[in-house]
Amino acid sequence: MDFDFSDEQEQLRDAVRKWVDKAYTFDDRRRIVADGGFSPSVYQSLAELGLTGLYVQEAYGGMDMGPVEGMVVMEELGRGMLLEPLSHAWMAAAVLQAFAAEDLKHDWLPRIASGEAMLVLAQQERGNRYALHTCRTTAVNNQGAWFVSGHKSLVPASDHAHAFIVPAMVQGQLALFVVPRTEGIQTRHTYVSQDGSRMGEVLFENAPAQLLNLQGLAGLQLGVDVGIAALCAEAVGLMEKTLSITVEYMNTRKQFGVAIAAFQALQHRVADMKMELELGRSMSYYATLKLNALADERTLALSRAKWQIGQSTRHVGQEAVQLHGGIGVTDEYIISHCFKRLTQMEMTWGDSLHHLAHVSNHMQDTAGVFA
Amino acid sequence: MDLAFTPQEQAFREEVREWVKAHLPEALAHKVHNALRLTRDDMQAWAKILGRKGWLGYGWPKAFGGPGWNAVQKHLFEEECALAGAPRVVPFGPVMVAPVIMAFGNAEQQQRFLPGIASGEVWWSQGYSEPGSGSDLASLKTRAERVDNHYIVNGQKTWTTLGQFGEWIFCLVRTSSEGKPQTGISFLLIDMKSPGVSVRPIRLLDGECEVNEVWFDNVKVPAENLIGQENKGWDYAKYLLAHERTNIADVNRAKRELERLKRIAKAEGVFDDMRFRDEIAKLEVDVVALEMMVLRVLSAEKSGKQSLDIAGLLKIRGSEIQQRYSELMMLAAGPFSLPFIQEAMEAGWQGDHVGAAHCAPLASTYFNMRKTTIYGGSNEVQRNIVAKTVLG
Repeated sequence: MDFDFSDEQEQLRDAVRKWVDKAYTFDDRRRIVADGGFSPSVYQSLAELGLTGLYVQEAYGGMDMGPVEGMVVMEELGRGMLLEPLSHAWMAAAVLQAFAAEDLKHDWLPRIASGEAMLVLAQQERGNRYALHTCRTTAVNNQGAWFVSGHKSLVPASDHAHAFIVPAMVQGQLALFVVPRTEGIQTRHTYVSQDGSRMGEVLFENAPAQLLNLQGLAGLQLGVDVGIAALCAEAVGLMEKTLSITVEYMNTRKQFGVAIAAFQALQHRVADMKMELELGRSMSYYATLKLNALADERTLALSRAKWQIGQSTRHVGQEAVQLHGGIGVTDEYIISHCFKRLTQMEMTWGDSLHHLAHVSNHMQDTAGVFA
Repeated sequence: MDLAFTPQEQAFREEVREWVKAHLPEALAHKVHNALRLTRDDMQAWAKILGRKGWLGYGWPKAFGGPGWNAVQKHLFEEECALAGAPRVVPFGPVMVAPVIMAFGNAEQQQRFLPGIASGEVWWSQGYSEPGSGSDLASLKTRAERVDNHYIVNGQKTWTTLGQFGEWIFCLVRTSSEGKPQTGISFLLIDMKSPGVSVRPIRLLDGECEVNEVWFDNVKVPAENLIGQENKGWDYAKYLLAHERTNIADVNRAKRELERLKRIAKAEGVFDDMRFRDEIAKLEVDVVALEMMVLRVLSAEKSGKQSLDIAGLLKIRGSEIQQRYSELMMLAAGPFSLPFIQEAMEAGWQGDHVGAAHCAPLASTYFNMRKTTIYGGSNEVQRNIVAKTVLG
């Protein structure tokens, strides 16, 4: 039982922090949002830092790092409110490495690591909400070749992605495919989401696909769990930043002749924000350290963590706006952007009630971290 | 970073578990697991069993006859005891006054008082709060006047937990009214059999007498019972507060009580009610998050590499969780928590239970648990402290 970071992990944190401070300021981010919510050059920078290949094994040109390194990186990127879907690269790498055949791994992993290929999950559909085990998209095999048809929504940076990880039904069972963005794919309808990041609708019309695994649910669940762990860490980084901006504001903003930090009614709200931050951080550690556990144990742990992160992000975001007063609801000032990003996190990779249901339906007689 | 305990820590846990299993009387564990009433003899029986093994002072260093365990070992010991259904160690002697005597008492005081605490023979109480001094403890007024080789103590303490059983009491007393209130306080050990000491139990909302008022009427206390220096008592009290960091979260008991909540909810048929079960699920995550916070503090203490500013959060969250599980247990029983039949909380009671036997203590426990956000520095005072560290 040890929650210290190694020197290498601290160095990694420093490197990412420096990159955020230098290359991903609030003004940089604003420009990216105005340009549509995704920057190819930023994604390349992340690749040059080795971050797209964080989970990719060395044999395929990656850094072959683990969940703790992923957490460290995401905490720092969370501070910068990264718009680019880096966690999807990790999701894709983890799923390919655990479930794909060798040729598919050789095809994609080196390119994920180098940033040459951006892979994102195209999972959401109208009507299936957060369910993973089924969807309307289908795949058929025609003379040994696979073709996918269906409509996926809310796909991150869909018109920039080079390929999609796509769950599709094959004879009543969920299978996973890699679908390169070539023929038979429409990504015309794109938009920015509430936090400024780019999303889009993707229409697959008999799109040529590579089979990742016919038993797709286990892989999809792993991918989602990798995404949740990354999101938890990102949320912690952003909550920390949000709290520190709020504290700075309270120590400078004066009303009734004193800094508003002097008012006990506000002090207690700050104490409660700190509580939610630290509960969130504790559960982010828990999520990260359970990511390599057996599937059922892992998924239960990640649901527990996501429930807590949902509570924490909502509380910290709402309170930060409240404590800022009027300036908190302007577009000009950063805190509303923190709030919107924190809010969007709750609806990403399954919302709080979805994960609470999983916890509630899988309770054991025992309790606690080691139960 | 690693969630798992080391093999050595696991082995230590096994050793404690085996020992507790072999030595904790079954009847006692039954009472604890079912929140039945514990007598003075129950509590002291367990204290003496631990004392014989040298584990009552489980936080003590080897130099004073303790096991010399580190923060993680102490936590594992507490956890194994709690999950097995051992009564909580009454903390006033071994956990609270003993560390102060070790740190600030003289050799004579250490030889005189520590053996009786370590063995569980002597029951200690705490004399801090007064009718006019709750959260503002430093305003306390109980006076100790030096007359030759004695102090003459006059005043009143209150909320003295289990003081009706107390043989000795450690008190904060005013020895000076000069300067700031904190600078005129001394730390005095008082024999409760001394003439002029009187104790009146206070009946609480659950019908039980858990706390007391203690009066001092010209009580003559030998000057050799003063710990450390006169007017330095506030520093010693603060040292004591710093000593009970993770323990106050009581996460181990929360785990045991969450298991009990699930048993009761199943027996009462509400575990299958999605709305009710979701409330248990939320509490389950709360308990995991609290345990992770406790483990973070322990890890930081063990390695010394991080300084964490979250100890104040542990008290707030731990106490809220204690209240919540007691609340949910009462709600699980619903109307069958309403009969107020105190005898039904005695082990082996032969009368007619209204509803299942497990319903009898639930409302009383719920009412009793309201104390947790009030004592040990109210949660509002804790929030002041947390806010101060965050806001600078």
